[in-house]
Amino acid sequence: MPAQLAFSGLVTGLILALPALALTLTFGIARFPNFALGAMVTTGAYLAWAANVLAGLPLLEAAVLAALGLALVAMALDACAFRWLRERDGMTLMVASIGLSFVLENACRFAFGNDARSLAVEVARPMRWHGLRINHEQLTAAATVLVLLVLMHLLLHHTRLGRAMRAVADNAPLAAARGIERGRIVSLTWAIAGALAGVAAVLIALDRAIDPLLGWNFQIPVFAAAILGGLGSPVGAVLGALLIGLAEELSALVLPTQYRQAVGFGIILLLLLLRPHGLFGRAVIRR
Amino acid sequence: MIAYLITIATLVALASLVGLGLNLQWGLAGLANFGIAGFYAVGAYTVALSPVPGVPALGLAMLACLGLGALLALLTARLEAEYLAIITIGFAEVVRLVSLNEGWLTNGALGLADVPSPVGFLPAGWQPLGFLGFALGMLLASFAVLEVLARSPFGRALRAVRDDDVVAATLGKDVGGLRVRAFALGGAVIGLAGGLHAQFLSYIDPSQFTSIVTAYAFMAVIAGGRGSNLGLILGAGSIFLLLESTRFLKDVIPLLDGTRLAALRLMLVGAGIVLLLILRPDGLMAEPRRLSRQLSPLKEP
Repeated sequence: MPAQLAFSGLVTGLILALPALALTLTFGIARFPNFALGAMVTTGAYLAWAANVLAGLPLLEAAVLAALGLALVAMALDACAFRWLRERDGMTLMVASIGLSFVLENACRFAFGNDARSLAVEVARPMRWHGLRINHEQLTAAATVLVLLVLMHLLLHHTRLGRAMRAVADNAPLAAARGIERGRIVSLTWAIAGALAGVAAVLIALDRAIDPLLGWNFQIPVFAAAILGGLGSPVGAVLGALLIGLAEELSALVLPTQYRQAVGFGIILLLLLLRPHGLFGRAVIRR
Repeated sequence: MIAYLITIATLVALASLVGLGLNLQWGLAGLANFGIAGFYAVGAYTVALSPVPGVPALGLAMLACLGLGALLALLTARLEAEYLAIITIGFAEVVRLVSLNEGWLTNGALGLADVPSPVGFLPAGWQPLGFLGFALGMLLASFAVLEVLARSPFGRALRAVRDDDVVAATLGKDVGGLRVRAFALGGAVIGLAGGLHAQFLSYIDPSQFTSIVTAYAFMAVIAGGRGSNLGLILGAGSIFLLLESTRFLKDVIPLLDGTRLAALRLMLVGAGIVLLLILRPDGLMAEPRRLSRQLSPLKEP
């Protein structure tokens, strides 16, 4: 039983890693926690559902469309809102992001209603391996996330764009002095974050129903993961996500399952008390 | 029609109270509270479960929210204000889970009925009007207290912390302590509003406490002008009426059902928050400030 829970926890953690990475990337570059992330995930799930069920496209194509669509949505959020507030404090941007979260979530509700929807997934018998039950969806999710994480690592560390992103996150005026266009880099970062959230949305929707609160329910664990890893650190976000996933699933051993969603909150509280800059973050003295 | 107007006026009074609480927390102290729905629910459930009815029950609701607000703010007193915002969301989530799952206490999704009204002694026909008066009295009292607070040294210190905490700390202000007190007091006002909500409807269940409460409060504070209590009440009133009037859209546009209309309203609120932040950051009514020319000039020695 614990082995089965640990395996599910790792897969959950891998799925959480994508939005956590999106959160931490945009935090690094725009300096505010994006509270619209949950609603973005919801939007991605509905985009995938529309492509998959309404338009009848195969799942893979629907997933690609959802990722591209959400990348455009994220760029639009930056162009219509965040860009205009860039010179203001992080608190203002944060409140704007919660406003956008209301807009996105309710646009989904307006278009698709409150009913639960699900993707057209063929139900297959789970595989067995050394006593573990492994769903096909879990394998798909794990493989997709691992591939994306490798791609993200290559992007961040071995391309001009990645170097520019890290430079802007590190010191925007200095990056500007070296001729890096901040607006373009910020916009591309939002697109990447949107695409990551879109893929995560599809992976989440593979094994649960889509409803307007789908993403909101992931908000707390995703923030917990990003804080655990130290906000702004991509590697930290991924490791944090794995730990949160494990903690959520293993909590079933001691907690009633209804309270699973509170596990992330508990971890945030403990962290803020003990190691406020995250397990892997650097201590930055700000105050 | 009169009954409808009284109901609307009562709801505006409750929304204004929530806004006043947020205006102390966010407007004055710069601490965003995204878990307003959680505080509101705690206030409502405290009143519904309180062993005593009426005003003492409201006092209990305020105490409960005061304590919880202080606790949340204490946890993050040494950190960037962003962390407080994150844990308020978690807090609201935990409140929702408890209200849904701890049936022995909250009766789960079925909710709690028969919350006694503080104006129960009035003849039945006069109760709605009586409750409106009661709620307006609470609103006025809170407004007076908060207005005095905002103009007191405490209020000035809070604004200083909000605008630049490093400078405030350098001047010897206890930044953490000020934040904790402001957040707790604001929480108490929101708890009071939640308690009144329970007494007004006399029936509560978890579905009443969703992010819509949070959305309205932020919209009211932004529209009214952060830090200005008077602007806030005007803002809360006008927004509530504006949104309430969308109810009649249903008669004009047949495509709109209840769900769509509610969604449309929240979309408008969200878009309004963002647009006002961009276009009119000071809101309808700017925070009252004393300019240097209004102070008496220094006497030459």
